[in-house]
Amino acid sequence: MANENGRPKVVERDEIVRALNVGKSFGTHKVLDGINLTVRSGEVLAIIGPSGSGKSTLLRCLNQLEPQTEGSITLAGITIDARKAATKKQLTDLRRSAGMVFQSFNLFPHLSVLQNISLPQQRVLGRPKAEADIRSRALLERVGLASKADHYPVRCSGGQQQRIAIARALALDPKIMLFDEPTSALDPELGLEVLAVMKELADGGMTMVVVTHEMHFAETVSNRVMIMADGRVLEEGPSQSIMRDPQTERAQRFLQAVKNR
Amino acid sequence: MSDLFTFWLENLPTMIDGLIVSLEVTGVALAVGIPLGLLLALGVQSRTLAVRWATMAVVEIGRGAPALIMLQFFYFGLPQAGVSLTSFSAAAFALAWTTSAYTSEIIRAGLEAVPYGQKEAAAAVGFTHTDALRYIIVPQGLRVAAPALLGFSILMLQATSLCFAIALPELLSQAYMIGTNTFQYLPILILAGILYALICIPATIAVSLLERSLSRHTA
Amino acid sequence: MSAESLLVILSGIPWTLAITAGAFTMGAILGIPLCAMRVSRSWLLRSMAIVIVLILRSVPPIVWLFLLYFGIGSGFFQVGPMQASIVALGLITGANLSEIYRGALKSIHPGQWEASHALNMPRWSVFIDIMVPQLVRVILPSATSYIIGLLKDSAIASTVGVTEIAFQANFISRRHFQGLEVFAVAGLFYILISLPVAAVARYSDGVLRAKVAR
Repeated sequence: MANENGRPKVVERDEIVRALNVGKSFGTHKVLDGINLTVRSGEVLAIIGPSGSGKSTLLRCLNQLEPQTEGSITLAGITIDARKAATKKQLTDLRRSAGMVFQSFNLFPHLSVLQNISLPQQRVLGRPKAEADIRSRALLERVGLASKADHYPVRCSGGQQQRIAIARALALDPKIMLFDEPTSALDPELGLEVLAVMKELADGGMTMVVVTHEMHFAETVSNRVMIMADGRVLEEGPSQSIMRDPQTERAQRFLQAVKNR
Repeated sequence: MSDLFTFWLENLPTMIDGLIVSLEVTGVALAVGIPLGLLLALGVQSRTLAVRWATMAVVEIGRGAPALIMLQFFYFGLPQAGVSLTSFSAAAFALAWTTSAYTSEIIRAGLEAVPYGQKEAAAAVGFTHTDALRYIIVPQGLRVAAPALLGFSILMLQATSLCFAIALPELLSQAYMIGTNTFQYLPILILAGILYALICIPATIAVSLLERSLSRHTA
Repeated sequence: MSAESLLVILSGIPWTLAITAGAFTMGAILGIPLCAMRVSRSWLLRSMAIVIVLILRSVPPIVWLFLLYFGIGSGFFQVGPMQASIVALGLITGANLSEIYRGALKSIHPGQWEASHALNMPRWSVFIDIMVPQLVRVILPSATSYIIGLLKDSAIASTVGVTEIAFQANFISRRHFQGLEVFAVAGLFYILISLPVAAVARYSDGVLRAKVAR
């Protein structure tokens, strides 16, 4: 890994994310311990591991939905250190650069599909409504849901809602997209349409961090895979080699269990 | 029997005048009290201790003291401090306070019912705290609170009958006045009861229908 | 405000408590047949219960009070202010408590009835040993918060001359032109009286919850 000794290095130009010795405790319970992570521009990193391994928490630390209790995280040039509370401006800037897609979609149910995508552009980027709507419709087109613009989210299937959620995040022109188990709440068939959109994004050069249970996605779409267990990183490296030839016993056991399912 | 209807018919115009005053007071109390209730609901969650304590005091007094006492405080009490209110404005102030206190609790429950994921999603797209409240949390919370707020509004119309005690010429006062003039207390009070029921019964049924249809949509 | 005025207002407390207790007792009893009608198998009884409850709740308490005191009391037979207040509030309480009882019945999982029948327990034993403890646990918190509401509603008795807190406050304020303090103190008394009731509610709720902890 890039920085075993934990000393901050000069951030390279094409680095989008750098996590240094990140730890997270809830009370006395430690869910993340000494995590180091680098994501470069255009990279797709898949984070896998058994449930409770801390992978979702790590992702949520990256955009500060859960502030880490140890170490520092740099995302798109904004550094947040656990020893110092982040300012409002830092949080806004950081979240503007990171698009987040949730397991449970979290679309705004009282807004139409179009408003779901347009309102953040208007309020966060200050885009005029007409311009925001044009952008929203283009993104809906791209995720194959142009016809749903004036519907409400409840009228859409889970797979459609998740594609809308992706469009909502993309509308803010993020530098990186964070996916928190985006297909876990979906039937396998509906999950496929979401994965197709994600693959297209990856092919288009979007930087992505994906927490997932989809081993096929981890192996074929992502460039790198990170396996976590018990709040630590077990292994990390190029997708093919990690998925086919894990080195540690714990990682072998996990992959074996997943494949035998 | 026809005597009774003649008596009712004779006095109906006066009673309707009273009913209109009752509805006006209700309207003002709700129009002022519910927005105030929203502010109080947000104030109770404030991070500033002074704001939290102040809103809690306003809410606890508004909920803890009987509406009848509030009405008399504003009408008979304030002149001592040099503020003389008409019975209508005293009624409006007192009942608006009561309304704001009760509705703040209803609205707070509504805001708390908004799923945590909504707050997270609002934060994740970069909304400021104010924007998240204004566009995401408050609209959804008010929707949850709507049936309870409507139910409370029905109770508020009933509570205006307490304004009898401060000589506001609302429905009950008119009935009482006709009663003293004619000694026909029972028939005129029955008419008053019927007029209240004519509004409150359909309203109650409508609210429970709304509640049922809302719970079906969210399920 | 003089100590004498304060004492006069204090002297209203027993009456306030008496109205509250009387109306609640009446309502607690009246609520049982109303609730039984509401959940009965007979279509007629059910509709009657719905209509009675709806009417009782749709007319303001003070109008019921006036109907009893001025309406019936002035014509057919004498009704004292205290009786009228207790009965008027008791009727409304009965309607509201019947709904609270019904909610409690609905909250008991049907599996409880089925299990009791499967164990071949006698009907009365099912009710006394299995249902009542569970019902009390559900009813108690809503009933105590209802009592607090009733305590405040009892202030309407002042309009027919029961010498409870609100009446005494009104009396003093007229005599000494001290409405500001007097009504503030009266309001405070109501809040103070409701505090122990709320505490009892929280305590008993906690104890009962612990007993049937899952």
